[in-house]
Amino acid sequence: MSLVAALLATVLLALSPLESAFAQSRLDFPARAGRPGEPLVINGALDTPLIAPLLEDFHHRNPDLALRYNNLTTLAIYRDFLDDDVTPRPDVVLSSAMPWQYRLANDGHAQPLASEAARRWPAWARWRHELFAFTFEPVVIVYRRELAERFGAVTSHADLVDLLTGHRRALRGRVVTYDPATSGAGYTYAIEEARLSPRYWELVNALGGVDTVLAGTTRDMLEGLADGRYLIGYNLLGSYARDFVREHPELEIAVPDDYALVTQRLAFIPRDAPHPMAARRFLDYLLGEAGQRAISELTTLGAIHPALDGPGTANALRQRLGDALRPIRIGPGLLATLDRLKREALLTRWTREFQRGTIAADTRDETSP
Amino acid sequence: MKATDSLYRRLITWLLLPLLGLGALMLMQAYRSAHDAADRAYDRLLEAASLAIAEQVKWQDAQLWLDLPPAALEMLATDAEERVFYALYDNHGRFITGNADLPALPGGDDSLRFADTRWHDMTLRVGVRPARLDSWSQRERFEVRVAHTREGRDQLTWSLFTGSASRIALMALLAIAVVLLAIRIALAPLTRLRRAIRHRDPRTLAPLDLPLPRELAELRETLNELLARMRRVRANQERFIGDASHQLRTPLAGLSARAELALRQPEPAAWRSALETIQASSARTARLAVQLLSLTRLNNPEATPAPATLDLVAVARNATRDAFAACHRAGIALDLDAPDAIVALAGIDWQLEEALNNLIDNARRYGAHHVTVRVKADPPRLQVEDDGPGIPAEKRLLMLRPFHRGAETGDGSGLGLAIVDSIARGHGARLTLDDSRHGRGLCVTMTFQGDRE
Repeated sequence: MSLVAALLATVLLALSPLESAFAQSRLDFPARAGRPGEPLVINGALDTPLIAPLLEDFHHRNPDLALRYNNLTTLAIYRDFLDDDVTPRPDVVLSSAMPWQYRLANDGHAQPLASEAARRWPAWARWRHELFAFTFEPVVIVYRRELAERFGAVTSHADLVDLLTGHRRALRGRVVTYDPATSGAGYTYAIEEARLSPRYWELVNALGGVDTVLAGTTRDMLEGLADGRYLIGYNLLGSYARDFVREHPELEIAVPDDYALVTQRLAFIPRDAPHPMAARRFLDYLLGEAGQRAISELTTLGAIHPALDGPGTANALRQRLGDALRPIRIGPGLLATLDRLKREALLTRWTREFQRGTIAADTRDETSP
Repeated sequence: MKATDSLYRRLITWLLLPLLGLGALMLMQAYRSAHDAADRAYDRLLEAASLAIAEQVKWQDAQLWLDLPPAALEMLATDAEERVFYALYDNHGRFITGNADLPALPGGDDSLRFADTRWHDMTLRVGVRPARLDSWSQRERFEVRVAHTREGRDQLTWSLFTGSASRIALMALLAIAVVLLAIRIALAPLTRLRRAIRHRDPRTLAPLDLPLPRELAELRETLNELLARMRRVRANQERFIGDASHQLRTPLAGLSARAELALRQPEPAAWRSALETIQASSARTARLAVQLLSLTRLNNPEATPAPATLDLVAVARNATRDAFAACHRAGIALDLDAPDAIVALAGIDWQLEEALNNLIDNARRYGAHHVTVRVKADPPRLQVEDDGPGIPAEKRLLMLRPFHRGAETGDGSGLGLAIVDSIARGHGARLTLDDSRHGRGLCVTMTFQGDRE
């Protein structure tokens, strides 16, 4: 097992974290009623401004509980969880790194939740009553308004390929996307997209053709778009983008209508949680109608609860996009994502396709008049 | 029918207990086969997944290379959402890739193997597929190991098991009903017999007459034999009572007639002679009454005293001493011929003395001059031999019946030998009547069997 762990650690180190720039902050909510006790410890990979309203709402409803939220990178969450020396042990683990969360649950580190809310939770958004998806975040394209004015709006992957191949010179160096080699999220999207459609490699080829800039986080891409360095960004995390675009009217979000990946944050209660009762209350809140309503109204994370269909819910998105939504399946397929050889194979092919696009573009440029 | 020991209960117990044991055995068997069937069905998934993985193993950059198909892992998880594990090992057993270090399974070189193992507090079903690369240059061996938890198998096992368990339960209920019915039908003749006996007139000794199955017919025949014996006993008793009253009436009538005759005569000398006659006659009658009483007592099986260890020689000596005076008066020689040692026996001493007294008395009354009482050991015997007239061989058995006198002469009551016979039977002794060794006379022997101490 130690061999596996060692191999895995190298994989994890290679997969650089999604939100590293915002790591290591902490939120504390002292108990306002009852005896002061040890706080409920939540380890999450979710920026504090996004999760704070949710925690405040929960704390307001459960004033007897003290809360501590540790904002960590997905890598730190995984590494700390497997390291028994790290204390305090978390009572709830939230992370957007679906394969790693799945792997922890698959290895038996999660305890089942048998509450009413957990029983009613849709089967596609949970695994074994141990692992629960509580958000619904599409992966989107963000572009500057001037791009749409010059070349027309981009609403699908096909549009994007056409745009990239048709206006290579104008877009060179002005397109940004995740680097699958350094970003865990970028790698996960790449592997899912490669499974979804063989035309994905055409897109990678086209991205290589315009010398696409490869970034590490959604935040980097959004900031580059905001200050005009990039015209269009591909595969940004919708929840962050929605939040960011509110304050930057020059940016536009497009959820592709041919297919749109949907990533979900997964939560579980560790088997060795020090405060399992409080942890169950928190998870019940997250999966209950109240918590889901708070997610849809107070955050941009997207609520899953089947009874909710207002803006910011999975139901609303479904009505708009129908079958095009492709939530990443919570199943053993995620384990393949973590396979060392699989990763090497995919990255090798990705780089090859990307560079082939670059070379082809260069030779075409030389021969063109 | 008492609950503690009833034929019905016994039958039910001995039929239903094995039936229940059989049912339990069948349930165990059903569980095992459900388990095996579920394993067979789900092992196909391990087979397919390991094949899908093995097909993707290549040789690249001087090492084993795997482009893991996610679908291979997906197919290992069914609706039961099993935990899924996989690993690839090279021909030296080195871990190449996977999400768990799965154990190797012992077994043949090229066959697919399955087994349950414990892994991190979980029970896993592991499938191991040995394979080799199939390219021109490389024939490297490798091993694909896949595993999943048993939830889906357990669910299938349980649903198969409950299906067959309900069928077994139904069959068991039917079998129990049939057994109960069969017992009731089989025991019905017993109830008929009981009713027939209960509803009989208690005074009647007529044989039972009702159709019964063979086993009970034997019981009925035995009962009828008992009834027949009781009829004979009752007839004997009636005859005995008739004989006894006749025997007592005759001397009483004689006494009455003699007294009446004497009263008519004036002289006291006649009275005296009459009184003497009356005294002798009443003494005889009293003795008769005593003998009747002892015979009745001997024949009553309810009042048999417990036998004690006694010495036959002492018994014979006592009896001889008691009879000696009477014999001496009648001019009869009485001898005792006994060994010096003790002849021990379980018996009732006063009964044996009575028997000897009766035999000596008989000999005296029927005209013997010489009577010998003998005691012998091995086997213990009592013998009384006289030189009287004897009894012809053909009449000897008749002599054992009460009131049967050998000769109409003499003043015997006819009960002596009957009493001796009763006593002999009570002691389990054989009574034989033989000719005396002197040529004339009778030799009566009681031979005791067996239980010598």
